[in-house]
Amino acid sequence: MTTQRIAEPHQLRRLPMTIARFGVSFVVIAIIVGAFLLPYLWMVSSAFKNQTAIFDDLNPLSWKVFLPVGGTIDNFVALFEKGIGLALVNSLIVAFIQVGGTLVVCTLAAYALTRISFKGRGVVFAVILATFMLPAEALVVPMYGVIAGLNLQDTLLAVALPWVSSVFGLFLLKQAFEEIPMELDEAARLDGAGHFRVFWSIILPNVRTSLATLCLVTFLFSWNAFLWPLTVVQSSQNQVIQVAIAQSVSAGELPNWGLTFAGAAVATVPLILLFLFAQRFFVQGLASSGLK
Amino acid sequence: MHSGPIDSTPLAVRDLGGSTSLPPRRRSKSAMGKGALPALAFLTPFLLLLLVFQYIPLAVMARSSVLDYSLFSPDNATFVGADNFIRIFTDAETIQSLLITFAFILGVLVLVVPASFALAVFLNGKLPARALVRTMIFLPVVTSSVVVATLWTFLLNETGLINSVLATVGIPSAGFLTDTTQALPAIIVMTVWQQVGLATVLFLGGLQAVPAELSEAAHMDGAGPLRRTLSITLPLLSRTTLFIVVVMTVFALQAFAPAYIMTGGAPQGTTNLIIYHIYKTAFILQQPGYASAMALVVLAFAIIISLIQMRLLRTRWNY
Repeated sequence: MTTQRIAEPHQLRRLPMTIARFGVSFVVIAIIVGAFLLPYLWMVSSAFKNQTAIFDDLNPLSWKVFLPVGGTIDNFVALFEKGIGLALVNSLIVAFIQVGGTLVVCTLAAYALTRISFKGRGVVFAVILATFMLPAEALVVPMYGVIAGLNLQDTLLAVALPWVSSVFGLFLLKQAFEEIPMELDEAARLDGAGHFRVFWSIILPNVRTSLATLCLVTFLFSWNAFLWPLTVVQSSQNQVIQVAIAQSVSAGELPNWGLTFAGAAVATVPLILLFLFAQRFFVQGLASSGLK
Repeated sequence: MHSGPIDSTPLAVRDLGGSTSLPPRRRSKSAMGKGALPALAFLTPFLLLLLVFQYIPLAVMARSSVLDYSLFSPDNATFVGADNFIRIFTDAETIQSLLITFAFILGVLVLVVPASFALAVFLNGKLPARALVRTMIFLPVVTSSVVVATLWTFLLNETGLINSVLATVGIPSAGFLTDTTQALPAIIVMTVWQQVGLATVLFLGGLQAVPAELSEAAHMDGAGPLRRTLSITLPLLSRTTLFIVVVMTVFALQAFAPAYIMTGGAPQGTTNLIIYHIYKTAFILQQPGYASAMALVVLAFAIIISLIQMRLLRTRWNY
């Protein structure tokens, strides 16, 4: 009897609470869909429309804005005729150099900092750590001077090379390397294996997840970079995808909306698909990078 | 001109073979000496690139900041001492750009921190579409700044989607990006939209590390959900919050695409963010010396922020 008396008002109070919570959840989810999903749907749908169709659906607002109704691939055809294919290939080449270079350079450095004891390790680490505080975008002017001094300006190599010695990448791998027990490589060393052998056959196979994270996050950074490629590349045959899109919006003439949306979609959709398939790696990697 | 940091890298590497002081793990002193050569081999590629693309540009920037020259004739430079730095704080356009950038950073922080905290608390509860919601708010984080700025240029356009939605509820259209009072708030909102997913994920990580017993104990003592969030969860997340504040500050400080793509710094310089101002000064106005001085000020600001963060993180906040 006593327990029932206590429980009853509780349960009575809980029912409206559950309804209220459901209501709040519903509203929040609706706002998130409206704010985050619909702009993307608008972008992709409009990529399949011409200028008139885009504005007809906007004024007055119709549900068709979010669907490629009466779609045409004219915008995409025009984009590839204008040479966006080349910009995509250039971006891929840059990303390939940057991802490959980062992997090689950072894994080697992380090995030295975690597996070889030598005098001055603390100093070396401090020298590396200090650059983590430098905002990359503020260094663009002198970096252009360095690239010009190396006679590398207007090359794809120059777009990728400055970011290969990634401090974020080094941290990520250093942490992963530290989790592998020292006994493993000490046993191998006793059997006569050299440092490179230990690095290649013992350390690397044990950090596959971190290597995948580093690859994906570096690819993302490389693909999305803007200010540096804008600065260092002048010729159109070396232009990367982000610069190509930016120039189609900020050109003096009135932009062609459908064409610009198509360019934005081409640059974004492959990346979003990659993100959806490897979400865990991206979220972990970006959360630990602090966007650097 | 070689400054200290430049020489310190090779020195640090060269100096490896000397006597030892680190306690080795079951290794003799001679083995420590042997470590120097392989360590050098493994570290050289990284350190070389770091030297060429971080420390040398730093030195070049410090040198350029006291010179007056153009990118077309870099050899034809005149030494101007501190003139470039004096100019920063006397040139109305640069002062405005610095103030606008501060306002931009502040606006982003004031909106993104509470919004992401609320979203994280919401996502930490039991909801049906949790994974889907997290994926959706993370989409802008993996989208390039160029595409985000492009998309928002059209969203905010006088005939764009936002005005079209407003028109259906009878609100007259606004020229967000061409209005001096609306342009900066508009790019602040856009940046919050772009970054809120990352901040939410960081808060979520923090929330999941909060021991459930603490909240349960407070619940037993009669604390309501709001009280539990404010008095228990929030103080426990001070470190996470500080980290988010620093990450968002550094991101906002480096914003470039909004000004370049959406506004060109207009109307009347109200969106002339500092990195865009530096870019224009160096590459369009051809005054890389002055631009370098401004970049050094930005750099100093970023370093101060990072040092404050490190200092605060070192204080004992463990509950």
